[in-house]
Amino acid sequence: MELKAKGSTSIKALLVEDIGVCRLVLSTFLLRLHCEVTLAMNGKEAVDLFLEGKKFDIVLFDKDMPVMTGPEAIVKIRAMGETDVKMVGVSADDHAMEAFMSVGADLFVPKPMRMEALGPIIQEVINKKKNDMV
Amino acid sequence: EFRPRPPPRVAPADSRTSGSEPSRLAMAAAALRAQLNALLANMFTTGMVDEQFQQLQSLQEDGGSASGFVAEVATLFIDDADRIIADIAALLDQPVVDFDKVDAHVHQLKGSSSSVGAQKVKLACMHFRQFYEAKSKEGCLMALALVRSEFCDVRNKFQTMMQLEQQIAACGPK
Repeated sequence: MELKAKGSTSIKALLVEDIGVCRLVLSTFLLRLHCEVTLAMNGKEAVDLFLEGKKFDIVLFDKDMPVMTGPEAIVKIRAMGETDVKMVGVSADDHAMEAFMSVGADLFVPKPMRMEALGPIIQEVINKKKNDMV
Repeated sequence: EFRPRPPPRVAPADSRTSGSEPSRLAMAAAALRAQLNALLANMFTTGMVDEQFQQLQSLQEDGGSASGFVAEVATLFIDDADRIIADIAALLDQPVVDFDKVDAHVHQLKGSSSSVGAQKVKLACMHFRQFYEAKSKEGCLMALALVRSEFCDVRNKFQTMMQLEQQIAACGPK
């Protein structure tokens, strides 16, 4: 499922989250930051999107999801050679940081993620994308 | 001899003279908004909701999200939490409790309550952890009772909030 806000930054964000209310809140934050948002309900759906050739600038993963967890999905996506895409772990689990960082996530943010935290992350992705284009 | 003249007769007030329908609706809306503001203030001062809920409200108020966004989030949370609490109760009702599954469900509820800003429910979930880690069925049942109590409180407040918002919307635009 793809969502698009007016005045897109053309930052393509994939949100991988099984809990409905968390999905709604985070996707709203991303749209507010003018990202194009694609939603996945678990790690396997995220991996399948990459296998289909979809490209994203940033992926936000919940940790514990049915079928495939966030860390498991990161391992598989990185193994496809997707080393440039920013991978962010998001979880309410106190022990999640180690689980994400040990498999190649770029960043971990505890839940609930606030706009004040997400804004600079998106801006960093925008800046990197501009630099890569130069 | 001076006799005072009787006062002029004044016709009784009727809807054509005592205030238009729009102004009565505006007054009703203002009263409802005052009730809503008092409800929200109470939810914050008692610690029932935290800054995360405030952020969701701000998103709606400054036009970043559609009106009804907070109501949609609250409704989703209520539905999710209802289901999760029922699932936890069913797990604790088994002769042999699967504490790993209890852990998973409590973790889900902690995530959803923190995302909506339901602080007391989140704290009750954090309190729960020590009991399923200790594999104490009795402790888990007590912790579930607390989670359920906190959830019922915030659910009732969210439902009242949504009813007031609907009534305000029915009064017409500001």
